[in-house]
Amino acid sequence: MSIAQNLSNAMVLASTYILIAIGLTMVYGVLKVLHVAHAGVYASGAFVGLGAFNFVRPFCTPTLEDARLASNLAFWISLPIAMIVSGVMGALIYLLIYRYTWGKSPTISLVASVGLFTLIQDLLQKPFLLGPRQQPYPAGGAGMPRIETPWFMITPTQVLILFVTLILLAIVYVILNRTRIGLGWQAASLDPEMAAAVGVNVTHVIVLNFFLGSMLAGAAGVLVGVYDNMVFSTMGDVPSYKAFVVVVLGGLGSVPGTIVASIVLAVTETFMVAFAGSLMPRDAIAFLVLILLLMFRPRGLLGRA
Amino acid sequence: MDYFVSLAVFAGIWVVLALSLNILMGFAGQVSLGQAAFFAIGAYTSALCALKFDQPFFVGFFAAILVTGFVGAFLGLPSLRVRHDFLVLATMGVNFVVVAIFKYVDFFGGALGLIDIPTPRFFGVNNDIPYLILVWLYVGAAILISWYISKTWTGLALNAVRINEEAAAAVGISVPRFKIYAFIVSAALAGGAGSLYAHYLKSLFPDNFNFIESIVILSMVVVGGVGTLRGPIIGAIILRALPELLREVHDYRFTLYGGLIVLMMLFQPMGLLGDDSTLMRGLRRLFVRKEKVDYEHAA
Amino acid sequence: MSTRLEARNITKRFGGLEALRGVSVTAQDEILGLIGPNGAGKTTLFNIICGFLRPTSGAVIFEDRAIHTKRTHEITQSGIARTFQIVKPFSDLTVLDNVLAGLGCHIYATPRVFAEQYSTRTTIEPAREILAFTDLTKWADTLAGNLPIGLQRKLEIARALATQPRLLLLDEPAAGLTSGEADELAVLVRKLRAQGKTIIVIEHNMAFAMNLCQRIVVLAQGEIIAQGTPAQVQTDERVINAYLGH
Ligand SMILES: Nc1ncnc2c1ncn2[C@@H]1O[C@H](COP(=O)(O)OP(=O)(O)O)[C@@H](O)[C@H]1O
Ligand SMILES: [Mg+2]
Repeated sequence: MSIAQNLSNAMVLASTYILIAIGLTMVYGVLKVLHVAHAGVYASGAFVGLGAFNFVRPFCTPTLEDARLASNLAFWISLPIAMIVSGVMGALIYLLIYRYTWGKSPTISLVASVGLFTLIQDLLQKPFLLGPRQQPYPAGGAGMPRIETPWFMITPTQVLILFVTLILLAIVYVILNRTRIGLGWQAASLDPEMAAAVGVNVTHVIVLNFFLGSMLAGAAGVLVGVYDNMVFSTMGDVPSYKAFVVVVLGGLGSVPGTIVASIVLAVTETFMVAFAGSLMPRDAIAFLVLILLLMFRPRGLLGRA
Repeated sequence: MDYFVSLAVFAGIWVVLALSLNILMGFAGQVSLGQAAFFAIGAYTSALCALKFDQPFFVGFFAAILVTGFVGAFLGLPSLRVRHDFLVLATMGVNFVVVAIFKYVDFFGGALGLIDIPTPRFFGVNNDIPYLILVWLYVGAAILISWYISKTWTGLALNAVRINEEAAAAVGISVPRFKIYAFIVSAALAGGAGSLYAHYLKSLFPDNFNFIESIVILSMVVVGGVGTLRGPIIGAIILRALPELLREVHDYRFTLYGGLIVLMMLFQPMGLLGDDSTLMRGLRRLFVRKEKVDYEHAA
Repeated sequence: MSTRLEARNITKRFGGLEALRGVSVTAQDEILGLIGPNGAGKTTLFNIICGFLRPTSGAVIFEDRAIHTKRTHEITQSGIARTFQIVKPFSDLTVLDNVLAGLGCHIYATPRVFAEQYSTRTTIEPAREILAFTDLTKWADTLAGNLPIGLQRKLEIARALATQPRLLLLDEPAAGLTSGEADELAVLVRKLRAQGKTIIVIEHNMAFAMNLCQRIVVLAQGEIIAQGTPAQVQTDERVINAYLGH
């Protein structure tokens, strides 16, 4: 595979890291909680998306003769549903759990989060939800074109991921930088007490923060589910961990840092696998990177000391 | 009968695991989500001693304790640099990396695992009762060690480190050294449990030691009561035995673990039997009131 | 008078901020006051003496030995103890166990740490003596975290004394105390001086420091702006200006 091809694959991988990690970094920014259960939201997003997709598709088929078109339409309906459900789920996680554990030792929130993640994953694999086996999510490229150049080729599904990621990032950028609530978030992540003192409703900011971040994670779940054409209950395992690698690498609480870190990690992984072969499972690279990183920069690569 | 023996063997093993994490978490304040890694290293060390080097059980058992203790010292190093929640992440990573190594290196059996690990037989008895006794002797040793540490200067130093590292250093405690001590003892105890587990199960797979097992161990400590002796013991027995006894509960075991952890963190972060838990306060109140009555009678 | 402690030309930078700039302080057998407005660098100097921070440049000499490269626990074992401006008692241990933790100072680095129980008659006796000396006896079995702030400050002194220091660093020991409590504290500090300990006290409260200390060093914005007897310092123009914020 050419370098350009590897790079373009890496960008697709980076997009999914970005979508998952932004929510985490936003939560860490304000609450200083390592929100492990975020990966449970991601898996739930994939599950809800798949459910909506399978539910809607039969209704689309009679009106649209072409099965491909019906499937595309079903996908574009399932994506926002999954995002909204994930967003609500995230907001509820804050309102029911972190609101009460916040302010106590960070370990308490973290342990609660780990418990919640375990609970979500176990429920997901019950027969009345996802079941123990993986399910296909055959949305293909959802109508996206294939891009071909002499140097690299991007499949429709990859285009879909890049496209959705860019749109969502643009939306998040506008919300964070151009709206009152976004500015409130920035203030709250610098100093929640000070923000409250100058009239920012910190609870609203945090709830919105969870809603937005979880929405992105839900979108990531859907996109990865479509990309691999499979959804399974433990699909959050690896992201739960990798997202933290990204967040720590990106300096904890910094959205731009997170984007840069996602790209760095994705490129590193892709090229390690391409050139070092299967010396080590790809995911172990991330774990090693994180352990080493924490050893030498305990506050993150771009983090303040 | 066999069923209850195996239940009791596993309960014993998990009591030790909970106690081992308790030394790290309850005494030294170092929260680890990688306890299953030490458990795995002990299990594999002991199994390999038997399978590749033809050593008798006890050689493998002590090798497991030594090797895990050594690895514990090494894996404790992140705790010197990284604090609190970041340490939790680092230990999570250690768990993943250790499982990945066992999975991808052929010497360790790879994904196919290790099979035909001999279960030792003692005194010519041809059932598992002597093994069960051995397991619970080890439990007794773990309890004794925990208790003893809590009484010595080491225990006081670990407490000091847990409560405030700067204040600990200011009374002459080498914070790094005591953290590493805690990692060594904790890992070694878990390693011995791994050995007992391997030889009882007869086969080992990397997935036996997944991250979720670390969560299970953590739940036991947290649900019982961090830092006490009774807490992890009762926590391990309840969480290990209860789901086995109730089939319906068994299918929802991890839901139960997860839910319990969340509820405990919300309502009783010190655990059911922790020093300041509602249950203990209630018990103490009962107890104290009775004492008072006696006192009045005497007067 | 022998020189107990000498801080030579200490500079400490935090990023762009110079918290200490060429500060030299010596302490003999005396009660030395270290005063100055908030943010002057007083606590930073203590942190450097105790090994919590490394100086950017300069040296700390304790009884003729350089200690600025040593680590905190080694410095404590060699005879320097401190209290904290923001109190850090071992909050879920009893008052008695807090003092015992200090008494362990010369055991932690020996193999005895594994073998000996910490709460035995031979250890409790000296611990109780220290509690009696600091007037904390009746709180012995209370959890340190449940004490009011004034008693927590006293407990920090008791814990520091338990390490048998020859140099005691007190960081704003009178902060948050009633005037009655502050008087008691002054009596306690004088008693410690009478036992031969060298004491450096950071104090925000001018009157308290003037009354207690034999000599005073005034720090402002990382530099020493005056030193001398309380009377000399009190009339120094720069000191008055620093305190009025000019
Ligand atoms: N660990 C640190 N990191 C960065 N800046 C610090 C640190 N400790 C102290 N400072 C800064 O150094 C200056 C002096 O602080 P400090 O020594 O605490 O003052 P004082 O005790 O005299 O009130 C202050 O501006 C403070 O913000
Ligand atoms: Mg200060």
